[in-house]
Amino acid sequence: MSDAVPRALEDGLRLAMPFVAALLVGSILLAITGRDPFSTYAELFNEALGGQSRIAATLTAATPLIFTGLATAIAFRAGVFNVGVEGSFYLGGLAAAWVGFAWIGLGGTLQMLAALGFGALVGGLWMLLPGWLRARMDVDEVVTTLMLNFIAIGIALWLVNGPLLAAGSANSATPMVLAEARLPRLIPPSTLNAGFLIGLAALVVYGVWLRLRVGGFENRLVGLNPRFARSVGISVSSVILLAIVLSGVIGGLGGATHALGVVGRFSEGFSPGYGFTGIAVALLGRNRPVGILIGALIFGALTSAGTTVQLFADIPLDLVQVLEGTVMMLAVVEAVRWARRRRAVRAVAP
Amino acid sequence: MPEVDSPTTRLGADGISRRFGSVVANDGIDLAVRTGEIHAIVGQNGAGKSTLMRIFQGLDQPDAGRVIVDGRPVRFRGPADALAHGIGMVHQEFMLADALTLAENLILGAEPGRWGIIDRRAALDRARQLADQAGVDLDWHQLAGDASVPDRQIVEILRLLYRGADTLILDEPTAVLAPSQVDRLFGLLRALRQDGHTILFISHKLREVMALADRVTVLRQGRVITTIDVGSIDQDALAQLVVGETVEPPQRTACDVGDVILDVAGLSVAGLGDRPALDQVTFSVKAGEILGIAGVAGNGQEALIASLIGLARPSAGRMTVHDEDLAGLSVADHRAAGIGYVSADRAGEGLCRQATLTENAIAGEQRPLAAEARGWLMPGRCKQRAQTIIDRYQVVHGGLGRPVAELSGGNQQRLLIGREIDRSPSLLLIAQPTRGVDLKGIAAIHRELLAYRQRGGAIVMVSEELDELIALSDRILVLCGGRAMGIVDREDASTETLAPLMVGAAAA
Amino acid sequence: MLDNVLHAAILATTPILLAALGGLINRQAGIVNIGLEAMMLSGALAALIAAHVSGSWEVGLLAAAVAGLISAAPLSILVTRFGANEIVAGLGLNVLIAGLIGYLLSDFYGVSGTLRLMPVPTLPRIDLPFIAGVPVLGAILSGKDVLTWAAWILVPLTALLLTRTRIGLRLRACGSSPATANSVGLSVPNLRDGATLAAGALAGLGGAALSLGLVGLFSEGLTGGRGFIALAAFYFGRNRPWPTAFACILFGFFDAAQIRLQGGGLPPELVQVLPYAVVILALTLASWRRRRGPSPEP
Repeated sequence: MSDAVPRALEDGLRLAMPFVAALLVGSILLAITGRDPFSTYAELFNEALGGQSRIAATLTAATPLIFTGLATAIAFRAGVFNVGVEGSFYLGGLAAAWVGFAWIGLGGTLQMLAALGFGALVGGLWMLLPGWLRARMDVDEVVTTLMLNFIAIGIALWLVNGPLLAAGSANSATPMVLAEARLPRLIPPSTLNAGFLIGLAALVVYGVWLRLRVGGFENRLVGLNPRFARSVGISVSSVILLAIVLSGVIGGLGGATHALGVVGRFSEGFSPGYGFTGIAVALLGRNRPVGILIGALIFGALTSAGTTVQLFADIPLDLVQVLEGTVMMLAVVEAVRWARRRRAVRAVAP
Repeated sequence: MPEVDSPTTRLGADGISRRFGSVVANDGIDLAVRTGEIHAIVGQNGAGKSTLMRIFQGLDQPDAGRVIVDGRPVRFRGPADALAHGIGMVHQEFMLADALTLAENLILGAEPGRWGIIDRRAALDRARQLADQAGVDLDWHQLAGDASVPDRQIVEILRLLYRGADTLILDEPTAVLAPSQVDRLFGLLRALRQDGHTILFISHKLREVMALADRVTVLRQGRVITTIDVGSIDQDALAQLVVGETVEPPQRTACDVGDVILDVAGLSVAGLGDRPALDQVTFSVKAGEILGIAGVAGNGQEALIASLIGLARPSAGRMTVHDEDLAGLSVADHRAAGIGYVSADRAGEGLCRQATLTENAIAGEQRPLAAEARGWLMPGRCKQRAQTIIDRYQVVHGGLGRPVAELSGGNQQRLLIGREIDRSPSLLLIAQPTRGVDLKGIAAIHRELLAYRQRGGAIVMVSEELDELIALSDRILVLCGGRAMGIVDREDASTETLAPLMVGAAAA
Repeated sequence: MLDNVLHAAILATTPILLAALGGLINRQAGIVNIGLEAMMLSGALAALIAAHVSGSWEVGLLAAAVAGLISAAPLSILVTRFGANEIVAGLGLNVLIAGLIGYLLSDFYGVSGTLRLMPVPTLPRIDLPFIAGVPVLGAILSGKDVLTWAAWILVPLTALLLTRTRIGLRLRACGSSPATANSVGLSVPNLRDGATLAAGALAGLGGAALSLGLVGLFSEGLTGGRGFIALAAFYFGRNRPWPTAFACILFGFFDAAQIRLQGGGLPPELVQVLPYAVVILALTLASWRRRRGPSPEP
């Protein structure tokens, strides 16, 4: 028990380190371009959390990241490097939008649920191929899932420019989803919607699954040491396949909530890289439910604040991207490695 | 003047100590390897040989003491430093890049040529010249990944010579070699000694030490026991020094042999290339019986155990447990049929180092445990199960929620064996049961295995320690080149009867 | 028609080929470079600005190589010295550089997304007097810019570098077995840094081929995933220069054909995904072959 406190502290530091470093990089950039970093950050903070409407905007922006972060974490935890959540998010969003505008007659809530379910299903099915290739054919999942992102985006674009293009619409977008199929808003007029609650519920289920379900236990052991897992009778390939498909399901569900909750349809540029930000979220949160939530909130806050700060204070929104990229790069650095660096370099040879 | 500072000492250790946590790997080691001799270092697993060699290579730094070269203290920061002093090492895991040819591996790091362009003709000439000197014939254009094990080893030795090393450290060089290949290696090493090279030879095979070395240093539990001329000691006395206080021979009482538990017929496992890793092995094990598996490392033991637990798919043959044919089924099916498995690779396969004691203790049993509660793994229930194993097998630990990596080797092994025996399997597969375990721990493990046998369990036990096999087994099957060379009954089992079989001589 | 497509295909190949050669060297040294896209993007921007300011395309190219190299540096250092995962760090670099470029564009030039600078010296194209008139051959060889020639000359040079030179051998050793390289006294981190920086410089030149060679302007979407196509190319070519170049020309052909095939055949959105699909297919086939038996490949 006595070492619980240092361990929590260490976890906290690990979580904070990349973020603090990113703020530092950001402030250098701000200073070079003649801006005061402190007042900029203060303004960002204020825009993210100052008042109910701003908080609602932050939570809205965090919602897709909860899904993509969680989706990534499920796979990472099983040792599967799925970087293809973006693709599931895209296709899940498109599938949900299609159900939302096309399946007229289901009526109300049922149509909404069908749309969410179909989005999740398509997201999961999309991951079947890389999952099967990894689990049965030993094909490196990093490259296949990365490539599948571009394929998913291409397919989605083709569909919204052709078969699913809204009549009379010049830009690439589907018709609007029926009003009954949209996710209810929590604090009108803010766009914060039930998708956020679904995301929270997914995190809770994930936490319980990890700790108390046999599937979560096997998922963790396979991620930690696949040879060990195999030797105690766990079917490593099934666990890997399940993890990557579940990852797709959550990614697809995220896309569905985004389409039904925020956008109201599927259109070109549906995701500004939520899937990739999700990788940063999962890494920052060390694949744990609370960590993912915190990570998603941080990036959500940055996005929502960045948008308004750009409008009012003439600070390019791209600053948020700079921070995000820096966090991603640093999140994979083992903080302790700084101290052990020399040893680590020597340890290259066994 | 202590010998380590003498000008005739090529490489020495002066009071070197190194500890890892609570484990003292090297405890004030003094060693002096004379120029032009073949000096053997012997000791059991865990005696501290590897740590000392890593320090001689600059791969690890001593907590106290000094490395001495030619009478002067040096500090190596890496293998390159050691090589600059003319000291090179051939590791057990060969250091060759598979995607490069043998010739490229030879010259790597010191390529002949100008302006960055490799002079391939010069490289090849030099390679052939070295091979001629060593009396070997190599296809230098072959990729290292495709080359045979002895060829790879030779290339590593030649690379050290190419780089100008006059002192070679060889870590268990014969572990991977067939007997004829051992002869070729020894011939080469003797020729090198003739040319004035110094050789430090790590082994735990006393017969080879007696045959090759000039002097031998015995390590036990991190300390130097003695350094002595090989000519002035016989093998039995040396063995006594290596083992130290003799392990209390396990109390082995006769017990009733029951029905056949495991029946294996014509079992084969495909290997790399054309040669099968396991070639039509047939045997059976009855309840209350320990079948030992003897053989030089890498002669099919791993393939045998892997196929018996379902990790490797047999290419031919049949294996039944309680008359249930399991060949080709999954590990889970094998375990469900009543087989327990204690891996030789305790830290890499048997246990999950980063996972907690509890997680390790219930691993493999998670589904039955969860089935009791509709798929829920209740923490209390898991802890209770872990506690039972820990109490019963006396695992000393710092908390059920701590990672297993923090346990000592012996405690890890007890946890692993406890986990597998406590499931009450009818057959236990165990490989290297006491590797890296101290003497007290060894005795406890032996008692546990015998008690399991007494209760009617059947054991298939692979060990590189012949003494252990002879002390525990009811019968010993000897593997060589993946084939069963014969099965020796307990009454006839001795080093003399087993050794010829291990090197491939047919049973008389 | 065919001549047109061939001509455009060769030009479209150049940026991909340059980046792919860099990525190939990087991969041979044991690092998968996912940040090529970022390095191309910074090269493209630097080339445009430098060429505009100096009035010389040569300076533009130099700036592109340097910019690519500089953007590769943080990735390399994090991977080789701080144990960062190369995939995530590479993805992060893409996000970081895109953000940085967007920020600087709107800060210095007050534009969002697209930067036009007039005048810009574009890359000179070399017309071959007699060959130009020959069908097919003329379209392939004549009227190509200097970077295109350079890229194709680099293909055999890269092959020679990897097999015949000291540095090439050492890089391959790092990729095949870092422990071996370390044990013979090589510095694996240094060698890998060198490879990544070289990849950055080449990818930067690839970016210049877009901004100075093809378009004459810069936009945030200029590279349009070509860094990933380059990744696809050297995966498809299994890190060998000639097969990788073949993949590049194939992808360049897709690129050129998609514009001209509109109306007939496949929709352009689907043509664009072909390179990515080809890579998944190639990886699957490679694995299938590997599982069927010992592969003849090195």
